[in-house]
Amino acid sequence: MRPRASLVTLSVAAALVLSACSSGQSGSSDTDAAAAAPGAALTIAKPDGAITTESHNPYLGDSSASKYGYAKVIFEPLALVNPTGDLGTTPWLAESVEWNDDYTELTVVPRSGVTWSDGTEFTGDDIVYTFDQYLDGRLTDTAGLKYEGATVDGDAITLRFGDSKFTAQARVLHTPIVPKHIWETLDEPNTDPLTEDGLVVGTGPYVLDSWSTESVTLTANPDYWAGELAVPTLHYVSYGDNAALTTALVSGEADWAQAFIPQIEASYLAADDDNRFLVSPTTGAGTLFMNLQTKPFDDVALRQALAWTIDRDAYVDIAREGASEAVWSVTGLGSVLESEIAPEYQGESYSVDVDKARQILTHAGYTWQDEALVDPDGERVSFSISVPAGWSDWNTQQALIAEELGSALGIEVRVDQPDWGGWDAARQEGTFQAIIHWLEDTGNAYGLYTSTMDPRWIVDDRAQFNFGRFEDPAVTDALNTYATASSDDERTAASAVLQQAFAEQVPAIPLGAHPLLGEYNTRNYVGWPTEEDQYASADPTQPGIVQILVNLEPVE
Amino acid sequence: MTAVQPQPPVQDGVEVGTTATTAVKGHSRVPWRFLTGRAAFYLFTLWAAITINFFLPRMMKGDAVDQYLSRNRNVSPEAADALRALLGLDTDKSLLQQYVDYWALLLRGDLGVSLLHGLRPVTEVISQALPWTVGLVGFATVVSFAIGTIGGAVVGWRRGSRLDGLIPVTTFLSTIPYFWLGLLAIALFSVNLGWFPIGKAYGVGMTPQWSAEFIGQVIHHGTLPAATIVIASLGGWMLGMRNMMLTVLDEDYVMVAQAKGMPNRRVLWRYAARNAVLPQIQSFALSIGFIVGGTIVMEMVFSYPGVGKLLLDATNAKDYALMQGVFLVITLSVLVANILADVAYAFLDPRTRQTEA
Repeated sequence: MRPRASLVTLSVAAALVLSACSSGQSGSSDTDAAAAAPGAALTIAKPDGAITTESHNPYLGDSSASKYGYAKVIFEPLALVNPTGDLGTTPWLAESVEWNDDYTELTVVPRSGVTWSDGTEFTGDDIVYTFDQYLDGRLTDTAGLKYEGATVDGDAITLRFGDSKFTAQARVLHTPIVPKHIWETLDEPNTDPLTEDGLVVGTGPYVLDSWSTESVTLTANPDYWAGELAVPTLHYVSYGDNAALTTALVSGEADWAQAFIPQIEASYLAADDDNRFLVSPTTGAGTLFMNLQTKPFDDVALRQALAWTIDRDAYVDIAREGASEAVWSVTGLGSVLESEIAPEYQGESYSVDVDKARQILTHAGYTWQDEALVDPDGERVSFSISVPAGWSDWNTQQALIAEELGSALGIEVRVDQPDWGGWDAARQEGTFQAIIHWLEDTGNAYGLYTSTMDPRWIVDDRAQFNFGRFEDPAVTDALNTYATASSDDERTAASAVLQQAFAEQVPAIPLGAHPLLGEYNTRNYVGWPTEEDQYASADPTQPGIVQILVNLEPVE
Repeated sequence: MTAVQPQPPVQDGVEVGTTATTAVKGHSRVPWRFLTGRAAFYLFTLWAAITINFFLPRMMKGDAVDQYLSRNRNVSPEAADALRALLGLDTDKSLLQQYVDYWALLLRGDLGVSLLHGLRPVTEVISQALPWTVGLVGFATVVSFAIGTIGGAVVGWRRGSRLDGLIPVTTFLSTIPYFWLGLLAIALFSVNLGWFPIGKAYGVGMTPQWSAEFIGQVIHHGTLPAATIVIASLGGWMLGMRNMMLTVLDEDYVMVAQAKGMPNRRVLWRYAARNAVLPQIQSFALSIGFIVGGTIVMEMVFSYPGVGKLLLDATNAKDYALMQGVFLVITLSVLVANILADVAYAFLDPRTRQTEA
């Protein structure tokens, strides 16, 4: 959903070339595998172009460690929150993690028997030090943790936060824990590239071996606390774009990636029997945001009609080429959040029902003139839908929506593809009519509702979310209750209010779950997450990669 | 206008040619007025380019923090202000003040830090990418120029022969979109035949060092990108040289040279090609300037490190410091290449110095 392949044609062309020559493929990669079978390295690839500047800082979003994602196998977090599957929390560097009732305090017990890769013992001091860096401003609080201090009681450490972290549990728990004895020597922990000797020290399963502008190599940590690792070496590489990455995956030069590959069946899966592709739906979704302040979307009847007309399956199958999961529930919640749907909305789903949509419109006073929809004021209904040029999947969805609404309801939909800057300004200032956008990911139902109905995102008349500028005091109260509730009952009651408001008001229309993608192969290793067992997503840039690496075993 | 045969540096005013009648006097003098005039012009161009480099990116919509947030979804939008402070964007300095500061830093050789590359200094970021671009694209351009010019001269000399067929072939090759040529080359030579790697500058797990193995890897990895660039750009050089040759071959002095029985080889290279190559030199100097800009499509297709992708990413991310740094390098190299071309031209072709007289 990001501008992953700005040259769409390029990817398509590559897919054609590749599918044309994939028949001759499987042979050569099989021999590669046979030659390298025991202890083969895994090559993790990204499509971001050459990453030529060395920085191993895990806190910096654009350091090479974060772009490649190798920070995740060096520095480990307190616990891993599964973004998919059961959404469960697995304690990792902590033996246990426990929140208090209103989620303002986290009590952790540091894992014993863990050593840093330079041989120093890992202790609770390291955890406290890591978080205290936010307290004294040595680290910028980019995750909005509002950390307020820690108290140590025997083994247990209690971290206190300024507000409820119920909706940001992963942000807290995924904070990379760093060694106190090294980080207290750094002048600028925010930006230090850790390129001097002996600074890249973590507890993780792999240690940095060599860094070059073309690849990064990590080797297995022999003293890793979670046991022996099947994969001795990890290579991280980055290809010029999706097309080059796909070629590398097909030829076996790269093993593991998280890219959106067009025509994946023909261009990747068909090339080798061992190639796998896993789509892990998350709580986020690609969502159609409408500007509720202006015509035509200030009328709820029109929004409802749209919800009954837009084909979410087409979004998944055509625009996303299968790499998503349709969201049909009237509550807007996707499959991983099914358990949060209130009883009265269980099974209440939209479908493509043009008659129903037309009925709603007729009731609201809309008419048709020569098959063109006319609103009660006598004006033709038309709007423009805007997505930055080059976001190929959503650009396709724009065209699909225009076609669906044009032929079914007689609404004239103009497709607008500005550059990112123009799009960004329009969504923040509320000068757009309709956009497709992602949701804030909180790991629960709150993400959808705060992203679509919460006025707190609008500061100085600029919106970071809730682009349609929905505002209803009852809903705002319910959102705040949900976020800060001290009991599950309170939260469920608030959730019911939110679901009702969302179902009745249709402030936005979720199309399909935002997935984490993973392409991998089972030539040398097994134990990957699968559709049946999504203990983590198969995305190698997610924190869950350490779970996968621990779980991998050499193929028989 | 009568064409003038360029003079080789003349010893003691003894004239070697037969038809040259002018521009002999100024030979041994350095054309100072010409050079200072050019220097002033170049300084003005440099100032204008740097000023435009500064203001242009700031006219684009959106700012670096918004871009940072859209790249890093794990960063809470509420932390935008903290991020501005971290990235040094929280200043409320006026644009003019920023412009003055920019010049002050620039003159000290400080290009700032790149937001897109883990806040590393821009000089470090560019110096990691520039050698690859200059090395590969520069080499390919020189090869393409050499083959194209020599080939064009020969084809022009033998006009009407079968060699003429080369022109449409090379022109056709250069009209193929480069990314397609690159993808075809990868599909054929890397994926199917397995002769060359799919891309990148050297192998995975290799560290740069002065060893035979590393250099071998660089050559192995660079062959396909270099070859495709040569193929894609050969047509222009060859066509240009051949057409100039045809014009020059019609000149009287060529006919005279042939008439007095000079060996064909000598007429071809010393008389015809030497005159025909002048415009080629000019475009070569220009293309040297553009080498530094990198060839972004090549970098993407072959996953090759280089300045082109750097600039594209910097532009998308509103990374002003890096953008300005890359633009500066490009501007400087285009200017230097032009100065070299001017100087070379002034020596090669006396007519350009005629303004003196």
